[in-house]
Amino acid sequence: MEEIGRNESIRVVIDESGTVVAEGDIDLAGGPLLEAAILRREGAEPIVIDLAKVEFIDSSGLRSLLAASRRASDRGTSVVLRRPSTGVVRLLAITGTTDQFELEGVDE
Amino acid sequence: MTSPRWSSPAMAIGAGPVTLTIPAVPAMVRVARLTASALANLADFSIDEIDDIKIAVSEVVTLLIQQGDGGVVTLEFGTDEMFTIVGSTTAAALPLAQDDVALTAAVLDAVSDSHELTTSDDRIVIRIAKSSTADPTAR
Repeated sequence: MEEIGRNESIRVVIDESGTVVAEGDIDLAGGPLLEAAILRREGAEPIVIDLAKVEFIDSSGLRSLLAASRRASDRGTSVVLRRPSTGVVRLLAITGTTDQFELEGVDE
Repeated sequence: MTSPRWSSPAMAIGAGPVTLTIPAVPAMVRVARLTASALANLADFSIDEIDDIKIAVSEVVTLLIQQGDGGVVTLEFGTDEMFTIVGSTTAAALPLAQDDVALTAAVLDAVSDSHELTTSDDRIVIRIAKSSTADPTAR
């Protein structure tokens, strides 16, 4: 497991399987660290981001995910959001951006 | 079923608005969220409503940092009639970049009762109101 970075909002690691794992808040402070980790994994397809331990996300955090989705789409692949927390699922729904991602392990 | 929305507050804190002045740096977004969350909890907003208020204040501070000139961001929180947030700072440039504002507005549509962004002279001001579903007569 490699820690990409941490600050007052977020801790981001890349685990043994290559999954980007975010813990904490994806906001204006946390988004850039998540984006740095995503950029490290852009050789792998698809990019998998585990969001089970994300406690908060706002539109600035969503922009980081959408930017990754756009880049992936340009390469003919996709971004997988694994186990997105309730807050992530809700923000995707209210912004109409759910279909920009593949979702795995969403609680019904 | 839609829950009733009461015009009176869940519980006014009663000491007037709370003002927070913060530097325009990303770490302060979380500080503003924690402050708003604590005040909404004091005013007896529900957990879901507090989650909405946290998103709203995060959107406000983020927009002001991104569109501001780097000067301080001022936030005023009120709980008299509804939970209200008035955020302001000095604009870097006007008009604002509409792509940034559009996604923020979409989020605020969903988490607040009303929101308004105004610019005048060199100031950006955002006003947000959020009501409570709590029944004040139950207290």
